[in-house]
Amino acid sequence: MQDTGKNIIIAGVGGQGILLFSNLLSKYYMKLGYELKISDVIGLGQRGGGVESHFRYSTKPVLSPFIKAGDVDYLLSFEQTETLRYLHCLKEDGIVFSSTFELSTSSVNTRLEKDMPESKTELIKRSGLKTFIIDPEEYKSTDFDISKMMNIVMLAIYAEFRGYSHEEMIQIVRESVPEKFIAGNIKAYEKGISIAREMTPNP
Amino acid sequence: MKMMNGNEAVARGAFEAGVKVASGFPGTPSTEVMDYTQQRYPDIYCEWSTNEKVGLEVAIGASFAGYRSLAVMKTVGLHVAADALGGAAGSQINGGLVLVVGDDVGRIAGDDYNDVRHYGNMFNIPVLEPSDSQEAKDLMIRAFEISEEYSTPVILKITSVICKTTSAVAIDEDYTYKVKCRKKYTVSFSKVIMTTMMMNAKGSEHPKLVKCFNDFPAHMKRLAADSNGFDINKLELKGNKIGVITAGTPYFYTKEVLPDASILKLGMVMPLPEKLIRELAAHVEKLYVIEDGHDIMEKNIKDLGIVVIGKELFPKFPEMMRFTPDIIEEKLLPDAPKRTLMEGIPFRLPVSCAGCSHLFISQILRKHKIKASADVTCGLIGCFPHMESYSLQKCMGSSIALAHGYNVATDHKEKFVGMIGDGGFWATGINGLMNLIFNDSQSTTIIVDNSCLAMTGGQHVASSEFGFNYKPENKLEIAKVCEAIGVKDIVTVDAYEFENLEKAILNAVKADTNSVVIVEKPCVTKFKLPKGDAYSIDQELCTQCRKCINIGCLAIESKKGKDGKVEIVINEDLCVGCGLCSTACKFDAIKS
Ligand SMILES: Cc1ncc(C[n+]2csc(CCOP(=O)(O)OP(=O)(O)O)c2C)c(N)n1
Ligand code: SF4
Ligand code: SF4
Repeated sequence: MQDTGKNIIIAGVGGQGILLFSNLLSKYYMKLGYELKISDVIGLGQRGGGVESHFRYSTKPVLSPFIKAGDVDYLLSFEQTETLRYLHCLKEDGIVFSSTFELSTSSVNTRLEKDMPESKTELIKRSGLKTFIIDPEEYKSTDFDISKMMNIVMLAIYAEFRGYSHEEMIQIVRESVPEKFIAGNIKAYEKGISIAREMTPNP
Repeated sequence: MKMMNGNEAVARGAFEAGVKVASGFPGTPSTEVMDYTQQRYPDIYCEWSTNEKVGLEVAIGASFAGYRSLAVMKTVGLHVAADALGGAAGSQINGGLVLVVGDDVGRIAGDDYNDVRHYGNMFNIPVLEPSDSQEAKDLMIRAFEISEEYSTPVILKITSVICKTTSAVAIDEDYTYKVKCRKKYTVSFSKVIMTTMMMNAKGSEHPKLVKCFNDFPAHMKRLAADSNGFDINKLELKGNKIGVITAGTPYFYTKEVLPDASILKLGMVMPLPEKLIRELAAHVEKLYVIEDGHDIMEKNIKDLGIVVIGKELFPKFPEMMRFTPDIIEEKLLPDAPKRTLMEGIPFRLPVSCAGCSHLFISQILRKHKIKASADVTCGLIGCFPHMESYSLQKCMGSSIALAHGYNVATDHKEKFVGMIGDGGFWATGINGLMNLIFNDSQSTTIIVDNSCLAMTGGQHVASSEFGFNYKPENKLEIAKVCEAIGVKDIVTVDAYEFENLEKAILNAVKADTNSVVIVEKPCVTKFKLPKGDAYSIDQELCTQCRKCINIGCLAIESKKGKDGKVEIVINEDLCVGCGLCSTACKFDAIKS
């Protein structure tokens, strides 16, 4: 085993299927024989709160369930305000995958707080980190609602980037989701592969 | 090996310990201990009780019957059950009695900053604390053994981090469930009886006296002495510069940040293994205590006359919500690079689900400037500054008595209304209602009947039409109970009939008699109510007065459009078509 382990933060908001995402990914690493710790820090998820999952796999026993700021290898984010919250946690050569989806925060909606004046996408691009920006709007089509499937799309993107076996991943999806959702999920996974193959990093 | 989070592992531990009865009351982060137990281990009798005190009393009774019993709650729940625990502490234990109590460290889900270990000190009972899922399972079994061996209730402290962290647990898939009945004592009395015995009859051999006597101080002394040899307390002697006494997940943070430190890792945080602590203290130059929550081990160690560094280096709340590896690194390895969060990122204030019945009530209270108290329910979102529907909010079950207190103090001149969920009502709120009736109060109570404990994820209550032990003939009726208690004026309304609801609340507030308004609508999220057509905002008519945003619906957003102009829009995916926002718009801009 060449890869001795990585630290990943998965971020987004309630209802984006982040727990399923980390569950599927954990099964992949389990099959490879890694040790794992996954810690979910859940706000008031179902009510528009932030969701954050610390995902660590390693050839040695994983100690802390939380990843120290500065030790994150990959940030996989489903919402761009949430992306900003974790940029400082990445290693210098850490890599960010971020959706441009944005769920405005209640504090801004209600004017308890001002929104950031700059474009969040630009802030992410200018973070000095290697970033992959995914704009779900670009891939929206009448027969495929990507916003509801972003977790599976992200799984495919990450797997492609890491050079993992798509066959294996699809098998895990098959074993894990209810029968009636399998076809839709596989379609989303395939879409994810094609998105990943077109993606170019920033800078 | 199986991947399990802490709650699953505790449930598995209960199964392997041969628990017969599990009772308790939901509360983040430990609610799922009961859910997993009930779903996976049907041999175990499970119940959500009306409140934590009742839940613990059920477990105490089952334990006296000779069977291992478990009570589940969060730490604020143990405040409610504290009297029951006081009664059980020090008394004769037949079947092991274990309380699984969740400390919501770090306020991950918005709880107060509590620490269950205070009860260990207060009642002189042992507290165990796991560091990962494997230990959660193992310590659960161990807790029952200790409970029986030392005749004491045992607290298993779990935290939001343990509950929500998944790691591997060794499981024997073919394990078969075994229950045994251990009937060692024929009586079990509270300490009041025992101390009376002790003062008058210690040493007596009269069988009637011996039968009642339980030498609890001796049990605890023996446990403290034995704890030095417990394998769950591990002394890892390494370098002699830094020594750390720690427990729970902070053990792993410590090991990761300070790989060369000598560590005493406690699986039982109370009572403390004095010998091991002295051994570590003698081995190292500086001794630290790294514990989540309050400075409880620290104080107990300092009481032994041992010098340790704790709070002075790691100030507790509000400076720190919970330990992280980062905090330990910052304080003990000051040369490590510092990372800071980007400034100005907006925070996410909780909001209600789209279509929630609470929003209708909040809206009416605000619109008519009715003063009201909120209970601990999903409806407490109405306390937040964008909604301002409630001016008073305290603990679960309190809102009815709070309103009554306000009303008697103000001679009922301005009617203060109490809003409470059905769960809070059955839990302890019902006492507030009985109290105000026989004390001749004219208070108004709004009971939000959404058929479940919504805020903790939709567990059943006494008036639900589902539940672990549900039978239609046993369902309690809120209206009938209110009537029996003697409430003069009771109306039941559908939350979505806005005008009726408004009328009902206004009538109740105006009347000079006590009254209850029962607002019916199943929780949209728990019961996945069918969605109606989405509403939308006509941008031509919208004046951006933001009245609709302040109703607190998740689906209404203020967004920058492509041209950079801010628009108030309804998120089609989230809107359930309840129509509340359209009642708030004076410009008729919101339509179906
Ligand atoms: C003493 C105590 N026990 C448990 C909790 C956890 N808790 C918070 S809200 C809630 C459910 C409230 O249900 P209900 O009163 O029916 O209101 P709803 O959320 O359904 O509107 C529970 C159990 C608590 N905060 N305090
Ligand atoms: S969970 Fe139910 S009661 Fe709570 S905010 Fe959502 S709809 Fe309302
Ligand atoms: S109709 Fe209005 S209040 Fe109701 S869910 Fe839709 S946006 Fe929210």
